[in-house]
Amino acid sequence: MSYILNITGFILKGSIVTLKLYAVAIVFSIPLGIVGALGKTSNKKWLKNILEIYIWIIRGTPLLLQLFFVYFGLPVFGIKLGRFQAAAITFIINYGAYFTEIFRAGIESVDKGQYEAAKALGMNYKQTMRRIILPQAIKRVLPPTSNEAITLMKDTALVAAISMGDILRAAKEVLTRDFNVTPFIIAAIIYLLLTSVVVLVFKQLEKKYAIYE
Amino acid sequence: MMCVIKAENITKVFGDLEVLKNVSLEVDRGEVISIIGPSGSGKSTFLRCLQQLEEIDGGKIKIDDKKLGMIFQNLNLFPHKTVIENISEAPIIVNKMNREKAVKRGEELLKKVGLLDKKDDYPCDISGGQKQRVAIARALAMEPEILLFDEPTSALDPELVGEVLSVIKELAKDHMTMIIVTHEMAFAREVSDYIVFMDEGKIIEKAIPNKMFTNPDHPRIKVFLDKML
Ligand SMILES: Nc1ncnc2c1ncn2[C@@H]1O[C@H](COP(=O)(O)OP(=O)(O)O)[C@@H](O)[C@H]1O
Ligand SMILES: [Mg+2]
Repeated sequence: MSYILNITGFILKGSIVTLKLYAVAIVFSIPLGIVGALGKTSNKKWLKNILEIYIWIIRGTPLLLQLFFVYFGLPVFGIKLGRFQAAAITFIINYGAYFTEIFRAGIESVDKGQYEAAKALGMNYKQTMRRIILPQAIKRVLPPTSNEAITLMKDTALVAAISMGDILRAAKEVLTRDFNVTPFIIAAIIYLLLTSVVVLVFKQLEKKYAIYE
Repeated sequence: MMCVIKAENITKVFGDLEVLKNVSLEVDRGEVISIIGPSGSGKSTFLRCLQQLEEIDGGKIKIDDKKLGMIFQNLNLFPHKTVIENISEAPIIVNKMNREKAVKRGEELLKKVGLLDKKDDYPCDISGGQKQRVAIARALAMEPEILLFDEPTSALDPELVGEVLSVIKELAKDHMTMIIVTHEMAFAREVSDYIVFMDEGKIIEKAIPNKMFTNPDHPRIKVFLDKML
């Protein structure tokens, strides 16, 4: 029993790294996705093209490759980043692309009449987006955003590949040392708890937005 | 009388389709004009051009657009906002009115259209006629001098038509300048100073109600009205 508590404590220390990375990635990739979606729904052709290429590259290549590129590849160009920085930047850029696509679809799903009503009431573009379009889009994108948020929690485990001491890495260290699978089971339980919290948070949000229609 | 809308030779083209062909209309302050005519004749497009929701391909429109309010055929209420928020939103964020005052004015408008008890409901929870009246109150909250109505009763069950028409009649009594696209002939006849008949993108006649409904110049109009009545 004390053995289990002991290694659980060790793996939980790894979860601090996981959670820090997760928080940074969410806090920056969602706004990046909103900005990207506003760009993609704007009428600026060049901006749409740039975003198109960004999304094409990010979605068409493995996340692990992107992580390796930022951590091992960029130093070739003289850009040397710490492990955490490299991981955070990779996840923000990667998830920003997915969120851009999700939010773009959300914005486009709002009826054209809503823009016209806002315009007829004298609202400008910024007021229309902030007060009328985005709040309606958010409601519609909650389910796919929730999926991405869960996937991100699990994807953070990839940082074990650049030797960051996250949950997975900590579990693997214990396993190598003691040669039993308990640490993996503990890691699985921790991930399950964390993803369950994400699910719960989104359920609450969906409930909050369910008051209309 | 002062002219508040002056549309001169408006043309509007969608692809190959010329939807408005040299449409001209002048409206004086306080006048109520009804636009009637077959569906597809360009009535909505004309209103949308006046409201600058469509760019015109020719002609000139003279209006102070800040004075223009519009009630859309499908209303376009904001579904994520309560009735009172629908009404107070634009005064607060466009006119920078303080919230309390905007809400108080919104409540007065709701009282006027008989919906004060629904102020905290969401649009999805009220009837079609009530939605229509909220849309009118929302437009009125910006204190327009001119209101454009696009078929304000076409989406309503017959028993709900009356409540909306009576609100519009009240506005006419208060000398609100209005252009109303409608298929309610009896209503148009009662409330309008002039009736405009549109057909295939053109105004083919503008006349006082009595003349339009009893003795229009165009035989085409007679045929249409006989079918409607
Ligand atoms: N955005 C649009 N794109 C292409 N055609 C349109 C568009 N809006 C309206 N039209 C066409 O213009 C014509 C006039 O439409 P509309 O103004 O809605 O007529 P009404 O309101 O008199 O029924 C119709 O043939 C319609 O199909
Ligand atoms: Mg129409």
